[in-house]
Amino acid sequence: MKKYIRLFVCACIGLQALTACDDSFLEEELLNSYSPTNLRDLPGLEASVIGLYNHNSTFHSVSWAQGWVSVWQVGTDIVWPTQPQGMENPYFDYNTLTPLDGAADHTWNWSYTMINNANVIIQNVESPDLTAIADADKNRINAEARFFRGLAYNILATAFGGVPLITEPLTVPRTDFVRAPLAEVNQVILADLQFAAEHLPDIADLPANRHARANKYMANQLLAEVYLRVNQPALAEAQADVVINSGRFNLIKTRYGVKANQPGDPFSDMFIYGNQRRSQGNMEAIWVMEAENPRDVPGGMTDAPQHRRNWGASYHSRAGMLPADSLGGRGISRMRLNNWVLYDLYDAGDMRNSKYNIRREFYYNDPKEQYSNIYKTKVPYEGPDTLFIINPYITKWGHFDPQDVFGYGMWKDFILMRLGETYLLKAEAQFKQGNLAGAAESINELRRRANAPLVSATDITLDFILDERARELIGEENRRLTLMRTGTLVDRATRLNTNIPGLPANRQIQGLTQTHLLLPIPQNEIDLNKDAVIEQNPGYIR
Amino acid sequence: MQHYLLKGLRYLLVLPLVCLFVAGAFAQGITVQGKVTDQGGVALPGVTVLLKGTTTAAPTDIDGNYSIAVPGGSGTLVFSYVGFQTLEVPINNRTTVDVQLGSDARALDEVVVVGYGTQKRSDITGSVASVPKNRLSNLPVTDLTQAIQGTTAGLNITQGSSVPGSSGGMRIRGVNSISARTSPFIVVDGSPFFGQMNDINPNDIESIEILKDASAVAIYGTRGSNGVILITTKRGLSGQPRISYSGYTGVEGLSNKLTPMSPDAYVQKFADYQRAQGLTLTQVLPNTFEVENYNAGRVTDWLDEATQTGKITEHNLSITGGTDKVNYYLTGGYLNQDGVVKGYGFQRASIRSNLDATITSFLKAGTSLYFADHNSDGGRANMLNATAMSPYGQVHNDAGGFEIFPMFPELLFANPLLGLTTDRVDRRKLITGTAYTELSPGFAKGLKYRLNASYTYEIGRQAGYTGRAGNNMVGAAYANNNETNNWVLENILTYSKDFDKHHIDFTGLYSAQGTDYFRSGAEANTFINDELSFYNLGAAENRFSTSESNRTNLLSQMGRINYSYDSRYLLTLTARRDGFSAFGANTNKFGLFPSMAVGWNIANEAFMQDVSAVTELKLRFSYGKAGNQALDPNQTATIYNPVRFPFGGASSVGVLAARLGNPDLNWETTTSANIGLDYGFLQNRIRGTVEVYNAKTEDLLLQRQIPNISGYSSVWYNLGEVRNKGVEFTISTANIEAGKFRWETDINFTRNKNEIIELYGDGQDDITNNWFIGRSLGAVFSYNWLGVWQEGDDIPATMNARPGDLRFEDVNGDGRITGDDRMYLGSTLPKWYGGLTNTFHYGNFHLSVFLQTSQGSMKSNPDIFYGDEVGKRNIPAEVGYWTPENRSNEWPSLSYRNPHGYNFARDNSYVRIKDARLSYTVPQDFLERFGISGLTIYTAGRNLYTFTKWVGWDPESTHLPRGSTSGSDSWVNNYPLVRSVSFGLNLTL
Repeated sequence: MKKYIRLFVCACIGLQALTACDDSFLEEELLNSYSPTNLRDLPGLEASVIGLYNHNSTFHSVSWAQGWVSVWQVGTDIVWPTQPQGMENPYFDYNTLTPLDGAADHTWNWSYTMINNANVIIQNVESPDLTAIADADKNRINAEARFFRGLAYNILATAFGGVPLITEPLTVPRTDFVRAPLAEVNQVILADLQFAAEHLPDIADLPANRHARANKYMANQLLAEVYLRVNQPALAEAQADVVINSGRFNLIKTRYGVKANQPGDPFSDMFIYGNQRRSQGNMEAIWVMEAENPRDVPGGMTDAPQHRRNWGASYHSRAGMLPADSLGGRGISRMRLNNWVLYDLYDAGDMRNSKYNIRREFYYNDPKEQYSNIYKTKVPYEGPDTLFIINPYITKWGHFDPQDVFGYGMWKDFILMRLGETYLLKAEAQFKQGNLAGAAESINELRRRANAPLVSATDITLDFILDERARELIGEENRRLTLMRTGTLVDRATRLNTNIPGLPANRQIQGLTQTHLLLPIPQNEIDLNKDAVIEQNPGYIR
Repeated sequence: MQHYLLKGLRYLLVLPLVCLFVAGAFAQGITVQGKVTDQGGVALPGVTVLLKGTTTAAPTDIDGNYSIAVPGGSGTLVFSYVGFQTLEVPINNRTTVDVQLGSDARALDEVVVVGYGTQKRSDITGSVASVPKNRLSNLPVTDLTQAIQGTTAGLNITQGSSVPGSSGGMRIRGVNSISARTSPFIVVDGSPFFGQMNDINPNDIESIEILKDASAVAIYGTRGSNGVILITTKRGLSGQPRISYSGYTGVEGLSNKLTPMSPDAYVQKFADYQRAQGLTLTQVLPNTFEVENYNAGRVTDWLDEATQTGKITEHNLSITGGTDKVNYYLTGGYLNQDGVVKGYGFQRASIRSNLDATITSFLKAGTSLYFADHNSDGGRANMLNATAMSPYGQVHNDAGGFEIFPMFPELLFANPLLGLTTDRVDRRKLITGTAYTELSPGFAKGLKYRLNASYTYEIGRQAGYTGRAGNNMVGAAYANNNETNNWVLENILTYSKDFDKHHIDFTGLYSAQGTDYFRSGAEANTFINDELSFYNLGAAENRFSTSESNRTNLLSQMGRINYSYDSRYLLTLTARRDGFSAFGANTNKFGLFPSMAVGWNIANEAFMQDVSAVTELKLRFSYGKAGNQALDPNQTATIYNPVRFPFGGASSVGVLAARLGNPDLNWETTTSANIGLDYGFLQNRIRGTVEVYNAKTEDLLLQRQIPNISGYSSVWYNLGEVRNKGVEFTISTANIEAGKFRWETDINFTRNKNEIIELYGDGQDDITNNWFIGRSLGAVFSYNWLGVWQEGDDIPATMNARPGDLRFEDVNGDGRITGDDRMYLGSTLPKWYGGLTNTFHYGNFHLSVFLQTSQGSMKSNPDIFYGDEVGKRNIPAEVGYWTPENRSNEWPSLSYRNPHGYNFARDNSYVRIKDARLSYTVPQDFLERFGISGLTIYTAGRNLYTFTKWVGWDPESTHLPRGSTSGSDSWVNNYPLVRSVSFGLNLTL
């Protein structure tokens, strides 16, 4: 029995020793997340920069609101909404565009998330006690962070005007933000992009696996656009010229790439999966956001881009038609090119309107027996088919994964900047300086490649340049931001895309006014900012 | 798997049998047996039979039979039972002693388990409700929450899912947290329970106590504010070993079938759909396969394809007994359930061993060991997809497998049966071991020291594979493993002293506990073929892995004083101090939770002695604080999450800011007051409790939204207040006692009013989260639905509506329907709930009918509006649609797309015949011929009928719309409420 007692006493003593009021017993250790303190060395900063690319992609890969892609296209001058998801509805029925709008909210939030993450990097890399990293590395990292901060502020400035200006990360929450004057925001954008243009590497010095990282010409191209927006056309032209004269890029004028031997043309080659990257022969590309099928490469893309589905026709809805690689995979036609684009925009023979770039004809492709009588015959138009079932569509976003025919996402590279646009930016800068002949020549660079008739100084107007942007960049450019930047949204959309015969009333543009040259500031931000007032843009009422 | 389990179980059951014979060898003298009944001749289970002057005791079984070893062959037996007079009967050399106990209304010395100890019912000052014991036997349920739903005032259980193995959600006295957990803290045999509710075998349970007010829960400190459920498992009693078997088998079916439209109605719906879209009807049905089957006249009842008659079987074998020094209780159970939706199933095998030993006069020790093994394996059919299938869809392909898209080329809806082709394992194992020693030093009478040590190890494994037949053309597999280690050490010092009419109890606690969690997971895809399933992830082209881990520690001190004077005036004072590692780094990590309670046993006053109608009358009041730990591990830190992005075909790892931390975060505090009255009249033929409470919870953990300009959308804060006020009453009556016939009724009722008092300190509502100051949590905030716009109605242009669209109230009269027209319509929390049990006895027959109800709540109904999917899927026959001809004022037109985001909330009140049970106790004299000491056979039906206005599968069950998840529920696991009919028996040797 004494043995038991001794055991018992030992157990009690042991217990007290173990649980003695030791402070460390209640100290918490972060086991599976990074905290700010373990990201201040070179690998930590490099990873923080990768984070910016990840976040950047989320502007393009939204699938939680499938209408997001359409937000930036419908209600402008080029497309009709045909099967809208809902998020884009206020962007053609402008009467319903309010400060509660989801797309404006996401644009705002996305931008400030980018800005915060860039601010953390910029603050860390500029910290005087960071001595373990070489200046060259610091400048490169700083330049990448500033490029993305400039990009985000430029979207905010274009979409909302002057916005709260935050250039250092917050450590405690604030609720007293005020809008900075647009000029101040522009100053930050220009300074960031100038720093980036100076310190980012030349694309020619980058290995192929870093071609999708920021290079100095991306900063030049974006600077050109910003200078146009702030009405400094001479500086814009100079930036465009840096890109054009760098000798690093050229317009694709000959066939190349994985389908070079199949029917097609140089313009369509650029947008074929496997051809889009510089390392794959696309010497026109300045900035390609690379995507991989997430099934094969972890994190190959964030979310699931909806471009193919939104732009592509829903031809599979027709009995006898199957989703096919040659047709660019399965689309659902949330929007349709308008008749102005389809019938009035292009001159005869313009390569950019070839059947390889805009598909207009369909042939029954389901080999099943019950379709044998129509197999391979041309699909006739009937009923509402031309609205969203066999409507013509651009092929730029075509993508087909035989292992996933439904294809909720689209795992295809995004050409975010290319030399074709540089000429258009230059033309716009020349036009603004009254150099109409120069502008015509810049545009003719593109028209020569497209086998389109050449133009002369007398043809050049801002509208002509915007028409040419549509011809060259349709489906690629953010049409809404372009028209907002140039102040032409109301005029062009009204002139080219209203009162469409045959389009249901609830798909027509309604209520578009000058108010819509800026988006509404999200009401949520105004409400949560309880210690100061963020002024709403004029014309928007809650 | 099942085979091994059974085999293992068999060995484990044999082992105790061996022990049993060894134990039996110690017994000497004679064995006395007999039967205990009440004055009406009805058997009394659970009567304690004690050999006077010893610690040898035995309980009566379900049939009132007992058997007790009498070492010397003589002595006196003491029969005691709650509510009955204690009876002492000399043995006088008999071997059979049958007794009848007379009811004693004043015998209220029932002992109730409370936190860190036990108390006489009459001495309790706090709010402690005991679950009726008849809910713990003869009831064929797989989960404890099913057994106790609706039985106890203040305890609200929602059976959101009937998936085999699932447990209902529990809440005690309303919802007193917004972001933190709201389910009660579970304590099993004195130790915190770390498993899941369905780990517990209901057959092992001796009693369940629900602690509700501050006085009862404050001793659980930061874990007490949601109430506490104390579960006590059966333990051995001295005496003859008894071997008991209980088991049942039953069948299950859909309790309510939401029948889809008939083939004809489906065809008409498509025609009407096309017309509503303004489109011409070019073919009879939208899709190729449908047209083919339509032309061939082939139809399929998809619900029949996806469901089956469920089967449920449970076996439990227990052995209990002991000597006067060592008692044991050993039990093994096995449950097998095949669900009503194909592929669903659940198996549980469990073993419990409870051992108590008196080692010396001053030292006791014991263990409780429990092992549970769960298995929910199997690929599952998808019920939502089955309801959505066209009657003209194609079930099988030419090769005899499942057609992947039955409505091809419609790719939105896959075959509901595809899941049956997948491999899937989902298993858990839980091992809990608790040991205690109890020291009662002879030098200080009334002083006791107890050391509890408990350890729980929980492992889980989920793996699955979807191959070509299941619509993954490359093959995808996953395998996840997790383990949690929990340990608890508790030092408990108790002291008890009587002097004159004073009685004092003191309880002190010093304890520590820790939890260590780790999970690893792997996914892989692109296999050569489907041969390897998930058994070799390395064979896949692409592989991804994850892991996560966290640790927490808790350090606590607690003290409690119970004082009573003359069993009339009662006082309880408690305080607990808890330190938790997950509290913010800027805090001191310790919270203090005091409480006080007073009680007055009015019935014990001299002036009441002559009031014979009043048997029991006690007034109680309590006030105090309890906490909610609220924080998850690492929730206070600023963190960066890893992200990936590809460059040049290879993935790079990056980081993004994920959360702005708040090192000031702390627990939530609930301060509550409770007034209670326990009453009993007419020799307790009418007895019950009335309670009123008011609880205010402060420092709610809220994810406060901040302007996104800061780079973050929200920060966690301790902010806001919510209040729960309520009334509870229970009443148990013996309505008729006439010879062999008796009729008893038990009613419980709870009314709880929840109200948000404050959110962010600025008086502002949070519309995004549906939180409105002055309103209940679970707010349903949407438009006031008035009907449907009809042709000919004067629809203002600003309404942007067409005939067939839903018509809503323009609350602010601006001519438009905007977000400003939304209003508070109700809450998902019920206004009141309760239960009604009627029990009838006639001789050896017993019938009990249990009704359960929940009233005054509403929730979104996913089965009355399908958005643009309505043209692509089948819909319930009960759900209609507007056409210009039928001018429905209830259902919108098929082209309606719900532009305002109306939530289709409907009242989901219901009254349910939850169960009805009929049992027969086989007479003793008949059984004796077979050497059987007790046998009860019964039949039980569950979820027999539901009275409700709800259109859908079930008002209580959670059915999620396609593609959505809610907590751990997913639309993939939508599952109908199940009606079951079972037959069972309890046999004691």
